[in-house]
Amino acid sequence: MRLTNRREFEQLAESAREKFAALGTGGRWSISVGMSECSFAKGARETWDHFRLQLERAGIQHDLRQVGCGGWCWAEPYVIVSGPSHPAVLYGNITADQVPDIVRAIEQGAISREHAVGIFGDADYDGIPSIHSDPFFARQHRVLLADAGVIDPTSIEEYIANGGYSAWIKALFEMTPEQLIDEVKTSNIRGRGGAGFPAGIKWESGRQARATPKYVACNSHEGEPNVYKDRRLIESSPHMVLEGIMIACVAVGSQRGYNYIGGEHMLAVARFKHAVQQAYEYGLLGENILGSGITCHIRTRTGGGAYICGEGSALMYSVMGERGQPRTKPPRSVEEGLWRRPTVLNNTETLAAVPAIIRNGGAWYAGLGVPKSTGTKLITFQGPLKRLGVVEVEMGISLRDLIFDVYGGMAEGRTFKGVQTGGVSAGALVESQLDVPVDFDSLTPLGGMLGSGGFVVFDERVCAVEFARYLMAFNRYESCSKCTPCRLGNPALVEIVDRIRLGRASMSDLKLIERTSKHVIELSLCGLGQVAPMPLLGMMQAFPEEFAEHIERHHCRAGVCPVGQQVLEPVAAD
Amino acid sequence: MAQDVQLSDADLEKVRALLNANYNPQDHQEAQELILGALQEVQHLFGWVPFEAARLIAEHLGVSENLIYGLLTFYADFRTEPPGNHFMLLCHGTACYVGGSQRLIDTLRDRYGIGADETTADGELTVQIVNGCLGVCDCAPLIHLDHVYHGNLTVESFVEAIENAKRNGPARRDHAAH
Ligand SMILES: Cc1cc2nc3c(=O)[nH]c(=O)nc-3n(C[C@H](O)[C@H](O)[C@H](O)COP(=O)(O)O)c2cc1C
Ligand code: SF4
Ligand code: FES
Repeated sequence: MRLTNRREFEQLAESAREKFAALGTGGRWSISVGMSECSFAKGARETWDHFRLQLERAGIQHDLRQVGCGGWCWAEPYVIVSGPSHPAVLYGNITADQVPDIVRAIEQGAISREHAVGIFGDADYDGIPSIHSDPFFARQHRVLLADAGVIDPTSIEEYIANGGYSAWIKALFEMTPEQLIDEVKTSNIRGRGGAGFPAGIKWESGRQARATPKYVACNSHEGEPNVYKDRRLIESSPHMVLEGIMIACVAVGSQRGYNYIGGEHMLAVARFKHAVQQAYEYGLLGENILGSGITCHIRTRTGGGAYICGEGSALMYSVMGERGQPRTKPPRSVEEGLWRRPTVLNNTETLAAVPAIIRNGGAWYAGLGVPKSTGTKLITFQGPLKRLGVVEVEMGISLRDLIFDVYGGMAEGRTFKGVQTGGVSAGALVESQLDVPVDFDSLTPLGGMLGSGGFVVFDERVCAVEFARYLMAFNRYESCSKCTPCRLGNPALVEIVDRIRLGRASMSDLKLIERTSKHVIELSLCGLGQVAPMPLLGMMQAFPEEFAEHIERHHCRAGVCPVGQQVLEPVAAD
Repeated sequence: MAQDVQLSDADLEKVRALLNANYNPQDHQEAQELILGALQEVQHLFGWVPFEAARLIAEHLGVSENLIYGLLTFYADFRTEPPGNHFMLLCHGTACYVGGSQRLIDTLRDRYGIGADETTADGELTVQIVNGCLGVCDCAPLIHLDHVYHGNLTVESFVEAIENAKRNGPARRDHAAH
């Protein structure tokens, strides 16, 4: 199906829209099963197999489809059923043994109330509420996740049917690179990889850089221990990420883009590669695309399980087949990146927002969120909450609303103690601080950070000292050992925390932590070392009494530290 | 690298076929870019990267064996020893930590005598402790054992999962792929 000009694309889009709109109509049923890594873990493959057999056996006219992760991981395996006699309904926790219930309901043309999470639309139906009366759905604003759980991630036509690649058409035929950059600047979107640098300004520097060829790189490494948004996005909407990279290439003046994906995210790698292959087959990638004269090629590269490879310069070394160790800056990578050529690096989520920005205009995007942090943000939570998963909310929502409304609050019998922010790069916040808006700037003065939007809630079972040690040990382990403050400072900090955990420290050790941390923060070469002590300092600030208890009274209120015991046992995996 | 483990001719042929099919760089730059991917694919095939396979990759892409050795030691995912009959990824990401993955790590040490990247003395079980997140945090703590996830683990269900796997006999050869 190789398209050779714009008109052919428009025709394809028209027929794709018709085909998509026809799903679940004309007497046929549409049964969509969420198939992503998170749902496989809960048995979605078996659910799928059982549907295939039982729908066949029951002689039901149907289309059994796979869709991605909608973010409602708490309801997985999930199924969306729509058909002749009722609107689309979301069923939750449909393991293989529940499939007969659903198939029976389809046969009767009814909804299985017992399994229904809600009606997948705006209106209630037959006493079953719309999902939008549930805060988990109602408080979201889904731009990046608009297609997640809706389209088949392996189908380029379903993406096109929902407006996909129309921004690419604009970039090819209607807009100059400067106009593309202007829209991104107007949107004021800031980088979603952690640092929050304005993407439009980075693109402009890339465009203005003199050397050629230039490259665009998408950072889908996602090696942090507390976040899983990028791989869910790729697993659910690989073409959206791809379209974003392609538009960035044209804007910057590059003929080749890369996506660097963490090698352990195998499904994301497979779906992305598949998407690239489809884009070539449809003539949307390659040379003289749709007769526009524009050339664009995309390569997929995978990492090998080193967190540091998410850092910009390390990532580029890794793409070039070297050990991923950061280098000193300047030069910045927009001047000298891949193959020592200007390279624009953006996070997956940043690039995935680009098609919508180009489609709807930068001003539309800037109207979402808050003035200094525009747009929507993918958020993931971990910990003992009622619900877990990925949500997309407008910037500026309070942490309290996220935890207690969107995610449904603490699980039965668990009490909130704190929330770790910014992954392994910032501190924890306590109850009294939860009214802070979630955006790039508000969390930082409290010792927290938005980072990549991964938050971890914890309760009384977690000891602040041991948790601090865990976070420090992560940074120590993942240090690439290139520079001394990070290589030696982090182990020293872990050692001091271990003394506290064993009840062998004195209060002056807290001062020592602060001094050592200062050295590591100020003297380290890259972003890993420069923030490595932050979680420890943050934990000390949020829970000073727990540190004092360990030191002065040899008491661990969570009962997990070996305070006062004689034997020195290794306490974590490192 | 374990040089005493020999690959059969058939296995070497598989590596050659894979390289010929998917790894044909147009220039030296692309050759460099393909090394990591080739190593990963070999690891998917065998569960580890045998020395001879690494040498074939070096030859095929025109890079030095030394360079490849440097990569194998830098990137945590690569194994240069054959794994045991069963292979486990144990998630030690933040959610799993908060959910008690430390207790599972302690159990491996106390009951099976192994730590990160080690294989039990009887050659049954190899464990890789993953510092990143396996991405299924709502089932924390969680392992991936011979390609199957086991979530919401307690020490008891953890041990049970291991013993069940052992009872079922050695897993597929590519079981250590991820
Ligand atoms: C140790 C370390 C790990 C990082 N890991 C990631 C990552 O996994 N994904 C990512 O997008 N950015 C990561 N970053 C940030 C990148 O260096 C870079 O700022 C970002 O990819 C730029 O994209 P953005 O402007 O769209 O955010 C990491 C930084 C450091 C210091
Ligand atoms: S700060 Fe740490 S991770 Fe960064 S270059 Fe130095 S040693 Fe490597
Ligand atoms: S932290 Fe273990 S699955 Fe996410």
